[in-house]
Amino acid sequence: MSEPVRLAPPTLPRLLRGAGLAVASLVLLLYVLGPVCWLLSSSLQTEREIVSIPPHWIPEAPTLRNFEAIVATGLGRPLPTAGPDPASGGFIPSTAANLLPAMLNSLVVAVSIVALNLLVAVPAAYALAKIRFRGRQAALYGILATRVVPDIALVVPFFLVIRKLGLLDTLFSLIVTYLAVTVPFSVFILTSFFEQLPDDLDKAARVDGCSRVQVLLRVFLPLARPALVAVGLFAFLSSWNEFLLALMFTQTAASQTLPIIVASFTSDFTVSFSFLNAAGVLAVVPPVVLAVLFERHIVSGLTAGAVKG
Amino acid sequence: MATISFRGVGKRYRNGVAAVHGLDLEIAHQEFLVLLGPSGCGKSTTLNMIAGLEEITEGVLRFDDQVMNNVPAHKRDVAMVFQSYALYPHKTVFENIAFGLRMRRTPEAELRRRVLDAAERLEITPLLERLPGQLSGGQRQRVALGRAMVRRPAVFLMDEPLSNLDASLRIAMRAQIRHLHAQMRTTFVYVTHDQAEALTLADRIVVMRDGAIQQIGTPDDIYERPQTVFVASFLGSPAINLLEGELTSEDGGLVFRRGALAIPLPPERAARIGRVAREVVLGLRAEDVGGRDSGPTLDGRVDTVMPAGSDLFIGLKVEGLDVFVRVDKQARISEGERVSLPLVGNRLHLFDRASGRSLDEAA
Amino acid sequence: MQVAAPLVSHDERAASGLLLPLGVVLIGVTLIPIAYSFWTSLYALNLRRPRLVPFVGLDNYGAVLSSPAFIAAVARTASFTVMAVTAVSVIALLVALLLNQEFPGRRVLSACLLIPWAIPSVANGLMWKWIYDANYGALNGLLLQLGVIQHGMIWLGDPSRTLPLIANAFVWKEVPLAAILLLVNLKAIPADLHAAARVDGAPAWQRFRHVTLPALRPGFTLVAVYEAMVAVRHFDLFFLLTEGGPGNVSDVVAWRVYVETFRNLNFGLGAAMAYILALATLLMSYGFIRALAQRV
Repeated sequence: MSEPVRLAPPTLPRLLRGAGLAVASLVLLLYVLGPVCWLLSSSLQTEREIVSIPPHWIPEAPTLRNFEAIVATGLGRPLPTAGPDPASGGFIPSTAANLLPAMLNSLVVAVSIVALNLLVAVPAAYALAKIRFRGRQAALYGILATRVVPDIALVVPFFLVIRKLGLLDTLFSLIVTYLAVTVPFSVFILTSFFEQLPDDLDKAARVDGCSRVQVLLRVFLPLARPALVAVGLFAFLSSWNEFLLALMFTQTAASQTLPIIVASFTSDFTVSFSFLNAAGVLAVVPPVVLAVLFERHIVSGLTAGAVKG
Repeated sequence: MATISFRGVGKRYRNGVAAVHGLDLEIAHQEFLVLLGPSGCGKSTTLNMIAGLEEITEGVLRFDDQVMNNVPAHKRDVAMVFQSYALYPHKTVFENIAFGLRMRRTPEAELRRRVLDAAERLEITPLLERLPGQLSGGQRQRVALGRAMVRRPAVFLMDEPLSNLDASLRIAMRAQIRHLHAQMRTTFVYVTHDQAEALTLADRIVVMRDGAIQQIGTPDDIYERPQTVFVASFLGSPAINLLEGELTSEDGGLVFRRGALAIPLPPERAARIGRVAREVVLGLRAEDVGGRDSGPTLDGRVDTVMPAGSDLFIGLKVEGLDVFVRVDKQARISEGERVSLPLVGNRLHLFDRASGRSLDEAA
Repeated sequence: MQVAAPLVSHDERAASGLLLPLGVVLIGVTLIPIAYSFWTSLYALNLRRPRLVPFVGLDNYGAVLSSPAFIAAVARTASFTVMAVTAVSVIALLVALLLNQEFPGRRVLSACLLIPWAIPSVANGLMWKWIYDANYGALNGLLLQLGVIQHGMIWLGDPSRTLPLIANAFVWKEVPLAAILLLVNLKAIPADLHAAARVDGAPAWQRFRHVTLPALRPGFTLVAVYEAMVAVRHFDLFFLLTEGGPGNVSDVVAWRVYVETFRNLNFGLGAAMAYILALATLLMSYGFIRALAQRV
């Protein structure tokens, strides 16, 4: 004779826990999203609205004017005539025209970095994970050690060498240096991943007639999709967000990337605030979209490092 | 086809540890050879050396007359079944089996024929389009066998392929494997730690320990005439009883003494052994009691009586040692009783206590 | 008969081929420039007088280590780092504890958490500069609306507030990664430990103190060392927000190197400074790398 199933009544502790979690979640959300939402809100305000005190958290007269200006100047068209005049100074500089080209530069560099990272890191990671060769330990130490040196310390020699080679102000110099800076982490993620694949799989494929390279291409690579996505994401984000090296190695819009152009507006006191925020939004949108869409992959890539560490 | 020859082969790691050393072994064409031993004895390393998956640091490995030391794994005509099966998770069963043939650029029609043929023999034809993740352990094992079979290799290697199966499945698969060997008529080298498996499957057994060969021989040789204490105790279930004692010369013959226990040896034995007053270990298998009533006996007090279905085992206390023997199922023996069990003099094994080597070996 | 083993085994040849591209990149683009940088630091190379390049040996190093400006910068860097690492650890712990719970909407929260981590540091600098703006910034606006202050305050321009405010912007961006690292550690704590403590009658706070916190030590160590490494070398926010000011309140080592090298064009000195920073970071993270590489 079975007892009737009873649902547990909502007890006070449970309600409190629910309420506590809700409050905590709200706080976290505010902390994380607050500044970004303010950025977005500011970019949608007219210059008159943006200088109101107290500030309008939600724009009362939202406008896409700033974004239109970015697109227009970027495509070589003249600035659209503004609506109501800005209340205080502040204007959209002609260098706004550089935003779109800079975005293109950033995109070109980022995509190249993704491709090159995969090309360089995948074979290296396989060798480190599955081949027991002399000096393997030393190689692992060495690869990680290259990232200990702070970027600032690399800037000086990089700058001198690049200048000597006449490669200042080219995307090529950015691509090469970014590659050196992102590849160790990619190797780390992929090596951790390959190590988790069974050794026997490697052995079976070799006995079946695969050379080492063929094992990588035919057996391990098809199984590595999540890790490859994680590596691609990290490489893209690192490249898109990089600032210091781009600051040093680029001089004109020919090679300047998005962060550089945005930074140039930040230090210009005459630039309109809402425009500034719009430029910021432009820089922020691609990484945010990628991060939110691929959260699973990013977290597993990061935790691969944590589990090992 | 291949005879495999090891001359002085060893594998030493960079930190100096030797997984295998001084290996001298000739594996005959079409032989079913089993490498038997506890974990860490070097049997898997030896197998991997045949496959080319482990570097040989000393000695020479030959297939027929060709030196294979520096030939990489993917260039050897060897197929292997792994303990973990190692099926390619992203390929269907068909593709798993076909992979080796594809890598060797077998023409498509021939490839299909062979794969379907193997699948039929292993009764896995309905599974061909599935992925390994959708199969049971036994099914995966058969796919692994299929993958190796289909290659028709010169040498067929198996690394504890049955260890992950349930006991009943294991016994059924043993028969399958023997059958496979008869069909394929190729050299099989099989690694296991299960001595019963070795005894059922092998043409010859190589018993290994700590990286070296203890003994090579047919199952009968190994079981009946173990050359070391280790071999004697590794084979046989229940394990052989080992009694330490002394061998003394008395009345022109040899007697094994331990405390009050005295077992005279038959004269032929004594003649073969020679020197006396040695410290020895006497090996007695559980089934070696019985025989004519006159002759040496084993005296002791019954400690436990263990009926085991078809047999009756008793545990005796003999001079401070626990001795397990098998007796007639009908015998009525109770605990605490003192018994005197007849022994067959020639079925006793004698080993030098210091070296562990059999005293009969010299003969 | 012995068969000569080849000098380089088949496997090793394959390995060198597979590692070649990586080797070229790392040696060519990292190691050689680092070596070149050291060589530069031994000369008094000033790009304002490019022809005059006397060899000065370790003089540059001596000059750097004895310069009061540099030592002050080190002190500021240290104070910034301590502030940042502490704040990151505490906030990340709270976030990790929250995300370790099961509740509807947790996935959404996790996804949002990555946003600060993902955005470019330039955007981060821009965003906070705007928030801290003395005239129209959101910080002033918020505090005014809440009645906490009576009139707008100068934030970044106030020397006593500069470093903490920069640290706040830094922390905001670093919390997601730190929280993820701690969360991994939290998830790895065996449930048995908590169950045993509960059976022993320990209340939640006690369980936290005696079970959770000690078990988080590896996570905290990882976070602390990693964030310290990042904080010590951080440059972007200092460039974007304050350029070393007001005065030299935020003149940290990374800023010093930049100024010396790219504003004073004193490459030799800048190289020496960068080298010292690199060596210091290397020593600091030696333990970190050993632990990390040993598990791989």
